[in-house]
Amino acid sequence: MQKFFSNKKLIILMVILIVTFGLLAVTVNIRDNKDTPPVVQQVGNDVVSVVGGVFAYPTNAVKNASSEFSDLYNTYTENKHLKARIDELAQNQAKLKVVQDENKKLKQELKLDGTLTDYTTVNASVLSRSPSSWQSYLTINRGSSSGLKKNMPVMSGKGLIGRIIEVDKISSKVELISTNNELNDKFASEILDDNSNAVTGVVSRYDSASGKLVMENVNSTKGIKKGQRIITSGLGGRTPRGLYIGKVYGIKKDNYGMTNSVYITPAAELRNFTVVTVIKSSVSGEE
Amino acid sequence: MNIKTQKIVGQVIFLLLTFYLDGLMKWAFLNNMNTGDFMILPQIMLMAVVLITMRIDDRRQILAYGIIFGLFYDSYYYGIIGLYTVLLPLIMVGIDHFKFLFVKSNMGYELSIYFLALTFLQSGVYVLERLLQQTSTNIFDFITYVLGPTLLWNMVVFFILYIPFANFSDWLAKYRRESK
Repeated sequence: MQKFFSNKKLIILMVILIVTFGLLAVTVNIRDNKDTPPVVQQVGNDVVSVVGGVFAYPTNAVKNASSEFSDLYNTYTENKHLKARIDELAQNQAKLKVVQDENKKLKQELKLDGTLTDYTTVNASVLSRSPSSWQSYLTINRGSSSGLKKNMPVMSGKGLIGRIIEVDKISSKVELISTNNELNDKFASEILDDNSNAVTGVVSRYDSASGKLVMENVNSTKGIKKGQRIITSGLGGRTPRGLYIGKVYGIKKDNYGMTNSVYITPAAELRNFTVVTVIKSSVSGEE
Repeated sequence: MNIKTQKIVGQVIFLLLTFYLDGLMKWAFLNNMNTGDFMILPQIMLMAVVLITMRIDDRRQILAYGIIFGLFYDSYYYGIIGLYTVLLPLIMVGIDHFKFLFVKSNMGYELSIYFLALTFLQSGVYVLERLLQQTSTNIFDFITYVLGPTLLWNMVVFFILYIPFANFSDWLAKYRRESK
């Protein structure tokens, strides 16, 4: 025994190995199974994020300014296009208002408190993005004190961008939909078509070569056309129904010709935004 | 506050600034989510770490910096503790161990040390994440799409930032400025 413990370098190496794998295993377990990380880590992350906000706000301002500058070039054509759409929009808005009122009344009649389409929103601004290749996380400046919980979906202006993966007191991490992680970020979704037969599936993968999201486990491919819109279906209980994901790009069979995958062009341009919206579902799924 | 504490505070602030710079760089300029396979990871903090380590002789201080900033990095950016927390101190002690070989540090030496440190760090993170099944990328994809572009980008940034960073860390580490 005396001889074994006398080799100091060997002992140090052994301790380093044990500590590394111990720490990694414990933190991965906590992230996967617990709702929040340990208090020490929460406080640490919050302090770091508060100080980080000092640097993030000027960066976001520059980012906004630069995207406005590039918008200026497209203004003329965009204006033309938008003018064509605007009449339609006003009509749709009026219709939506009427339908919403009607829906509310009908729900009262039926004594329905909350359905899958009910949700409230919280806005947050982005502080930074992880310089990491496999954890594509955004850090945002709202946390459990604003009522955020793990697994809430997050949208940017145009569409779904991801899901909350870690909640601290006043900051949290958002895992982007483009992460290639086997365990998380799956969204139960459905394709909106003109007929009433709903095509449902799970948006489970991101194809980094083409930049498309992939919807798998599709129940039928009948009637799927390019350009149809895809929303979350609300099945599964974690995500409310009706969040816009993107448009159908095409259908591809897998290598064995067994299952069909629908490729989706994501709606959210995942570059030029500085503010995100967290969706709080009114109906909670089973814990 | 004596001069030594002042210098230590300066070093910590320098490292903290580069720590935030990593996240902001990724967010503001390298935010490729929709397009492209290539993944560029800014590692400016590692640059500061290498430059500071080359200039400080106290092994304990180096270890403390490595562990504390490694912890910050893991907790804030990765959400998993144990990647940078272990690899960063290892790199720093490694540099400290072999730096007696360089009589006088210059840009070429520091560039190659930074290159080696970056390769070691990124490969270490990849191996650990692969072991823990945080990623399913295979080794060739990792080299082509992550390691290669990251090394290239960081080398270019190293050339741009070397002179201000090196002078600043010279000033931070030395108690009295020596005449050149």
